[in-house]
Amino acid sequence: MTDAIHIRGLVKSFGATRALDEFDLSVGTGEVHGFLGPNGAGKSTTIRVLLGLLRADAGDVSLLGGDPWKDAVSLHRRLAYVPGDVNLWPNLSGGEAIDVLGRLRGGLDPSRRNELIERFELDPRIKGRAYSKGNRQKVALVAALAADTELYLMDEPTSGLDPLMEAVFQQVVRELADEGRTVLLSSHILAQVEVLCRRVTIIRAGKAVQSGSLEELRSLRRTTVTAALRDLDGAAAALPSANGVHNVQRHDGHLTLDIDTPSLGDVLALLTTFGVDSLTAHPPTLEDLFLREYSDELATLGVVEGSR
Amino acid sequence: MTAVAAPPVDVRSGALSGTRDLVRVALRLDRSRTIIWAVSMGLIVLASMNALNTRYVTPESRQARATLISSPAATALAGPGYGLDNYTIGAMTANEIGLWIMVAVAIMALLAVTRHLRAAEEDGRLELVRSAPVGRNSAVVAGLVAAFVATFAVGLVTFLGLVAGGLEVPGSAALAGGVVMVGFAFAGVSAVTSQLTAQARTASALSMAVLGITFVLRAIGDVNGPQSTSVLTWLSPFGWAQATAAYVDTRFWPLAIGFVVTGALVVVAFWLVGRRDVGTGLLAERLGRPAATPRLTGMVALTSRRQLGAILSWGFGIVAMGAFVGLLAGALVDFIDSEPSLGDVFPAGANGAAAGALAVYTVFLAVTTGAYAVTAVGAARAEEVATRGAAVLALPVSRWRWLGSQTGVAAAASVAIMLVTGLVMGATAASSLDGGVSVWQVVGAAAVTLPAIGCMLGLAVLLLGLVPRALAVIWAYVTYVFVVGLFGAILPDGTDALSPFTYTPQLPAEAMDWPPVIVLTLLAAALVVAGLAAFRRRDVVG
Repeated sequence: MTDAIHIRGLVKSFGATRALDEFDLSVGTGEVHGFLGPNGAGKSTTIRVLLGLLRADAGDVSLLGGDPWKDAVSLHRRLAYVPGDVNLWPNLSGGEAIDVLGRLRGGLDPSRRNELIERFELDPRIKGRAYSKGNRQKVALVAALAADTELYLMDEPTSGLDPLMEAVFQQVVRELADEGRTVLLSSHILAQVEVLCRRVTIIRAGKAVQSGSLEELRSLRRTTVTAALRDLDGAAAALPSANGVHNVQRHDGHLTLDIDTPSLGDVLALLTTFGVDSLTAHPPTLEDLFLREYSDELATLGVVEGSR
Repeated sequence: MTAVAAPPVDVRSGALSGTRDLVRVALRLDRSRTIIWAVSMGLIVLASMNALNTRYVTPESRQARATLISSPAATALAGPGYGLDNYTIGAMTANEIGLWIMVAVAIMALLAVTRHLRAAEEDGRLELVRSAPVGRNSAVVAGLVAAFVATFAVGLVTFLGLVAGGLEVPGSAALAGGVVMVGFAFAGVSAVTSQLTAQARTASALSMAVLGITFVLRAIGDVNGPQSTSVLTWLSPFGWAQATAAYVDTRFWPLAIGFVVTGALVVVAFWLVGRRDVGTGLLAERLGRPAATPRLTGMVALTSRRQLGAILSWGFGIVAMGAFVGLLAGALVDFIDSEPSLGDVFPAGANGAAAGALAVYTVFLAVTTGAYAVTAVGAARAEEVATRGAAVLALPVSRWRWLGSQTGVAAAASVAIMLVTGLVMGATAASSLDGGVSVWQVVGAAAVTLPAIGCMLGLAVLLLGLVPRALAVIWAYVTYVFVVGLFGAILPDGTDALSPFTYTPQLPAEAMDWPPVIVLTLLAAALVVAGLAAFRRRDVVG
């Protein structure tokens, strides 16, 4: 099966700024793919290239087997887009905006539309100019999710939504995934991506710096172990020199250490020799993975690691 | 022993705390706007004075003008007609030019107040400001002060322009004082409307409606009761300002009414501010339909719905001007007959002075329609910048369809506006001239300008396709077309070569000439197609 999205060496510049710099991205069909990066890293630019709104300067971009620039109209029949910053027509109600967009697509299923309006608790009678940010976002979500398509491109789709609506959104995306539809979910809500996505790509300054399944990425990182040991002094002396062990800290009769994933078995075996009373292990969270890619930037921003 | 010292109690804790700082910010925000307004108004006053001083040198020519302006249709667009029996340049200025300066200043002031009071609140800026130690009324005071300062600046420049144009000081003070008073009054109106609605656009529209109503009240009043003798005139700030009879009787007391009313409106605004929450209006936003009607399907329907307000207001304005021109045609012919020097401006063709005047005014109305068409292209650009363009173009909607539909709606609306205008102007002209020009001749004159309007539209589309950021440059071209269209006959040869109206046969004064009309039609089509093709090839921004 071909990938729903396949990008190799994509370059896009705006004047002197290189927004995308040899960027790569692969999203398999039927996959919910997390697309992570801070503001200005190139997430929206990538999605706008995929929508054929921006023309790539260089690189190969294939979307559902077609060229997003040349075949824009026919490809758009097969995808739906949720922008992150939604502006509605001031004098159209939310319901009218949803219907106008749906009809430009060629019609939408009224029962699906009404079901989504109900689930997102949207009042469709309010005029576009009077909606709050979160409600404008809901209008865009309903308009896109009501479309019966293979691919959903979502650019920070839940900005401005409250936690309840965030939960509704996650439920709807899971349903789409169960039906075998593909979702590219650009977000900086890491918890959302961690729950919904099996694979993620982290973008930084227009380049993909990490890409893979969450398990693969985690295996590249360290597991944090906290243990209560009978021979704390012996362990504190022996462990820092062991292979694959980092950042050993001792406090309140506990020892905390970071272990490289390949050495996990050996180090645990070593730990048992000091008499383990209790032990907890934390696999790295997506937040750790993400922030590690940006650790130098955090340092410049004056954020001390471990103080998060 | 150490203790955390309690912060000193801020003495600024009233409803007006922090006003001085906010006033400074508001004045800084408006600085360049105010300067542009003042300089443009000054130039307009100087240019008008210069025109009057050179054109109406003899008492006979001024009296001919007085006869023209005393007709009902002209009175509606001028003033109460003080000093018509001895129509000096001063009386003429106060009667005919004053009103338009006042209208401009009123628009400036009402927009300034909604911008400071409502747009800031709508965008959430006011919330930031109000979270600082700033009183509830401070922002309202600051916005009003900014509008008052801008109004006063324009009034001062107007006064200087009038005096520089050779008019006496007391009369100029009365006329400029009227300008300032009208600006203050509409600032007060906007202070109230800004409390009523949650959207700056709606607040401005309400204030504009008040402006329109008071303009019409004064017009009806002055037509029925010359020299401010009708009650209706006294219901309008324009009526109060013109009741000063500047340069004729020059009296200042009518201005007091306006300043008292302004004060009352400001008091009402403050009272309303205390009765509502930040971010809300006192009038509830009307709800829309929960779902779209079947008619609201497709790009053309969407564009028409978006543009309906603009099409109706431009259309109404242009058709109304056409009606005035038609009604004035009879008086205008008498005026031109008694004032041969105007033969330059209104070339008398084979069909006489009336046909010449109608031809010139048809071009004027056509350029105004072209200006509407250009705003429609600007609206397409606004869709793109507001990212609504991207939302629609992410659907199976091609670039050709997206921009083509919007261009098509603009073109169709322009055709409708011009044909209705031709019909109305023709009917009114035929009635006021009793013979000489038929309705269908005037409709034909309106129709023959359509290819030139199409060229203006096409040029705007081409700019949108090629250099969207520079779309505003089109307004320099619109101004150029406007100036050479009205004054082409008295400008140096060749300056009008770039205006499509230069090549349009001036019906009904001239005979029909098909080749230029066909060439302009093809040119308009080529410009639109080139613009659409360029749009297909560029990035969608916003």
